Amino acid sequence: MTTTNVAAVIVTYNRADKLGKVIEQVLSQDRPADQVIVVDNASTDSTASVLDQYRGRDTVHIEQLAENTGGAGGFAHGMSVAYERGADLVWIMDDDCYADTDALRQLVDGHAAAEKSMGMRLPYACSVVKWTDGDVCEMNNPEPTWDWGKLLARGEQSVLVNSCSFVSVMFPRWVLTQFGLPLSEYFIWFDDQEYTRRITAAGPGVQVLTSTVTHDLAVNRGVNFGDVNDSNMWKFAYGVRNEASYRWHHEDPFAALRFAQRLFTGLRGGRVPWRLRRRLAKKFVEGIRFDPKPAFPRTVL
Amino acid sequence: MTDPHDQTGAHRVFEIDHEPDWFSGLTQREARLLDGALAFHCLARPGERIRATVLRTHGPHLPSLTDQGTSSIEWPDDRTVVGTIEAHATGHPRSATGVVDVVLDLGGPPESLMRNEQPPGRLHAARNAVRRRVPVAFDAARQLRTDRLENRRLSRPIPRVGRLDNTSVGSSRGSTKAVLFGLHWLELGGAEKWATETISLAREAGLFPIVVSDRPSGHPDIVRPEYDGALVIPLTHPMAGAQESRLLSQLFERFDIRGVHVHHCSWLYQRLPWIRAQYPGTELVDSLHVLEWRTGGFVDIALRLSNVMDAHHVISPQLRDYLVDRQGLPREKVQLATLADLTIDRSTVEAAPEPTRKAGDPLTIAFVGRFTQQKRPYLFLRLAAHLRATHGDRVRFVMHGDGELAAEVRSHRSRLGLDGVVELRGPDQPVSNTLGVADMLVISSDNEGVTLTSFEADAHGVLVLSSDVGSQASVVLPELLLPRAPLAFLRAAERTVAGLLDDTERSTALLHRQHGRVSAFAALPDARAWTRELYERWAS
Repeated sequence: MTTTNVAAVIVTYNRADKLGKVIEQVLSQDRPADQVIVVDNASTDSTASVLDQYRGRDTVHIEQLAENTGGAGGFAHGMSVAYERGADLVWIMDDDCYADTDALRQLVDGHAAAEKSMGMRLPYACSVVKWTDGDVCEMNNPEPTWDWGKLLARGEQSVLVNSCSFVSVMFPRWVLTQFGLPLSEYFIWFDDQEYTRRITAAGPGVQVLTSTVTHDLAVNRGVNFGDVNDSNMWKFAYGVRNEASYRWHHEDPFAALRFAQRLFTGLRGGRVPWRLRRRLAKKFVEGIRFDPKPAFPRTVL
Repeated sequence: MTDPHDQTGAHRVFEIDHEPDWFSGLTQREARLLDGALAFHCLARPGERIRATVLRTHGPHLPSLTDQGTSSIEWPDDRTVVGTIEAHATGHPRSATGVVDVVLDLGGPPESLMRNEQPPGRLHAARNAVRRRVPVAFDAARQLRTDRLENRRLSRPIPRVGRLDNTSVGSSRGSTKAVLFGLHWLELGGAEKWATETISLAREAGLFPIVVSDRPSGHPDIVRPEYDGALVIPLTHPMAGAQESRLLSQLFERFDIRGVHVHHCSWLYQRLPWIRAQYPGTELVDSLHVLEWRTGGFVDIALRLSNVMDAHHVISPQLRDYLVDRQGLPREKVQLATLADLTIDRSTVEAAPEPTRKAGDPLTIAFVGRFTQQKRPYLFLRLAAHLRATHGDRVRFVMHGDGELAAEVRSHRSRLGLDGVVELRGPDQPVSNTLGVADMLVISSDNEGVTLTSFEADAHGVLVLSSDVGSQASVVLPELLLPRAPLAFLRAAERTVAGLLDDTERSTALLHRQHGRVSAFAALPDARAWTRELYERWAS
């Protein structure tokens, strides 16, 4: 008989105020993770002192990175460590995600039930992500498949999805072996979309409706190009480059053009200054030349 | 002189009608090849008298023992008739009517066979000439092609044989409990070393070892003591279909074959569905060592046949992950059990060995392994040339091995002006002597599972630099892993060696970390223990 080893991976950067609660919520799961891997992306705040409280705990493993590799690099690293440490299931989340006490159990059970019902291996299971007021978190709403209600019709509390965010999503080990890791080169934004779309080649993912987490964002708003300004420009720059790259190289040039049109419309609608629009246009072109390849994890032992 | 015939288990299945005088004049290797061939022909035609004309040659010709050509009573001019002999299968009355004639060619001496096999044709001749002349450039192109083929291979699903649910038919009927082993050949190699070990383990468990080998070879290792008393049948192809099934069914009727253990033997792999259908009581397992990225090799053959097999033994985490995670085999069907202590006694190397080299001493870099394309000895020579040019006599080199590229190694060594710089050592010298004088071992292979020499080197306090292939990362430190592509390999190796040349402190620290890594790997389940338990279960 074999037991399933679940690794929770939390990636953090300068969120000392929220990190403790995130870790506590993971540690207090009613189906505990067998190992909790916290990747500190070279934080410069008091994250280290928060993490000090968890050093030496049996199930907690802290990975201290020498430089900030972005969410993408942090997740790729954490997933690779989880793989190397023998995890059968890897459950990943941001450093502002508070998992409800039964979130992991529901994910594990819901994923297993969906696989049984579908008669195939399913590449991931994600939670329902709420905002702090209990409403759905706009940024983390997965994209459903055309037949999303198939499992609901069979009496299961899950829906089929094409992609989701990295806020409480669980991957079986075989997905990492077969499809590799998220693209570290993306640094931030669209790494989750690229990865979950990449692995959907093996079948749809599932959103387990009974598994819930809270994403503690300042405002509940999805990605909208009309919101670009000087202070958030750096994030949108990565987002545009990464999505252009994905659409061009992994879908087709027409998908990239449709994205360009959406980008143009969004920027115009938000009356974003022309100098920022020009910078994003350059990022779009950069994305056409940008085509990183996934790294694959491996077990040393 | 001891009759070499007496040391084999072949007498269990055939009798010689009249043992001729010339028989004792055979070398032990030849006698055992002949025994295997006679066993095959007698089992393939039980009840008939087999009259064999036995040939040998001094030229570079492989034996012909069981193939369809053995029924032809003409032979090339350079063969010499050793003699004739008559035999028949035991347990069947000797046929009074006529005989079946076979011609058994024992081939040339093994040393004449150690050459690079080259397929016929001008294209291959040109390709070989390029490879000989510019091996590094040739290898660079070869690795690019490997990358492409690897991607293509991995993108295609591997077909699987159907499961056999109806298992109501017979089982092995003999009384002597036995294991049927399938080997690639009886020559030097990591997989073969392990296969030989399992034959000893079978005997220890009270199981009679029956060994078939698949590939043409002079089988120099057939004389090893592990094969004493075993029934060894070195197959040569193509065989007649009816003879193949009769051979197997005779073995299953004469012995109580409890299990089949396949070690890199395509022929036996392909016959597993038939064995499972006819003798479902027999357990079918294999041992897997290396994933061939170009073709999948034996690992993909095993995958194809996995539905009729009971277990796969793998020696590296890479193979386990490939079979379970990438190919979806049930985890409980794949057993990781390492060969970390196959060639060394780890109980004697518990403490991290200390390096003996002091600051200012020359650095001795060794290559240990067969001189074959897979091991890429030419890369080591090129590295030696670069390091010699940069660091002069502060670096010394030893190449220990032999193989089909031996002549090329010698000529490259001369061409690179390394005659007095790179010392060549043959297999007549123990590897431990070479590792005893070495400070660093370079493994330049383009494919490996986990090299046994890595464990031996660590036990001798030798740092291991290795191309990052197979599961080498399990035993080699990340900073000492080198890219597989030849030019990048050379650059990284040169840089790494240069960085360690004067820094004995760092070398010591690396050696300690390496020892920790190797020890952690060696603490994984042990192949001997797993196999012993398996055989004891089969024997009970």
